[in-house]
Amino acid sequence: MAESVKVLPEDIQQLMDVYEWDMRTREGVQRFRALKARSLPSVALDGDLVYESQIPMQEEIAEEIRLRYHQKNRDDDHAS
Amino acid sequence: MPENLAGKRYIYKARGVCPAEIHFRIDGDVLVDLRFVGGGCPGNSLLVSRLLSGRPIDEFQDVLQGIDCRENTSCPDQLALALKAVNNQSLEPADTFRIHEDRRKIGRAALIGDLSGDGQALERLLNATTAAAPDAVYCVGNITGNSPQNKEMIRMILKTGILALQGKADWRYAQGTEPPDWPEMASQTRDHLVRLPQVLRFDLAGKKAVAFYGDYIQQLTGYSDYDPYALEMNMICGLTDFMRDEAVFPALEAMTPQFEVDLVLFGQTRQWGHWRVGGKNIIGVGPASEGGRLSWGLLTSENGDIRFNTMTVD
Repeated sequence: MAESVKVLPEDIQQLMDVYEWDMRTREGVQRFRALKARSLPSVALDGDLVYESQIPMQEEIAEEIRLRYHQKNRDDDHAS
Repeated sequence: MPENLAGKRYIYKARGVCPAEIHFRIDGDVLVDLRFVGGGCPGNSLLVSRLLSGRPIDEFQDVLQGIDCRENTSCPDQLALALKAVNNQSLEPADTFRIHEDRRKIGRAALIGDLSGDGQALERLLNATTAAAPDAVYCVGNITGNSPQNKEMIRMILKTGILALQGKADWRYAQGTEPPDWPEMASQTRDHLVRLPQVLRFDLAGKKAVAFYGDYIQQLTGYSDYDPYALEMNMICGLTDFMRDEAVFPALEAMTPQFEVDLVLFGQTRQWGHWRVGGKNIIGVGPASEGGRLSWGLLTSENGDIRFNTMTVD
């Protein structure tokens, strides 16, 4: 799953950090439950569970990341 | 000591002395959690344990050797041999938890859940299970509890040949950390509980099965997510909250192909249950006695399928 995120275009890579949790571990299970995920694979962006049981198309996830990035920066600008 | 052995747990099979085993850990060059298990002078062995635990091994190793108690050896002498065996790597670190493999050919197994020291319940359940002619009777912990019959219970378990797993209450008694209002227990009795298996492996008509009590095993010092059957335990205890959270069953199903076994049994929740997820069978073993009613589980195999029934005793 993380592989599909790691191959996103360079401009998207610049906007994000990728974390992968191993579901075999207690830490992975804890994270899975904290996100209230139900199935695998699951992808969360900024702590929100966005994709479950599916690997999104590259364009789709890239667009979602761009949107969130701009939204976040706009919110930060308004806040400052 | 070789540097890479820090923090490992060891079990040394003693010879010629009363205790059957010596349990200890080595943290860096320091001996910790020393315990003589399975007999001997409880006072003296506890004193030796207290004097040596937490001290660098080099400080005392020499004085242990050559002390004679019986058969030209003694508990300290056996400890010296154990430490020497660690040093020359002829004694391998023990597993985080004690796994017992039942190699008998099992077609039918009777399951007994939490007994909590209820000897009468065990006696009645054994009478009931006998009629079903099981190849094995497994108790998935706890055998002890807040009961004056704990010692008698252990005696019955040993006498009847039931294979009992250590439950959390048994583990707490073994460690001397039982609730303060629970009955006292002699150190020899506690030693029996220390030596109970914490995980049981058996085959049911060719299907691989593993049984454990619950999540206290995940809290044992040194527990690793990559220990044998840790995946099964992490999924049952952590992911599904002992199969009580059905919302995550799709995730469980995705993980089951990595299971080492076909059948997983647990006891902690004191509720009988049978689930089939991802082609694996998962069974919750309920209490032996509840509300005056006794119950046990019968595990069989039919045409390669695992069958499970909860039986009650009036």
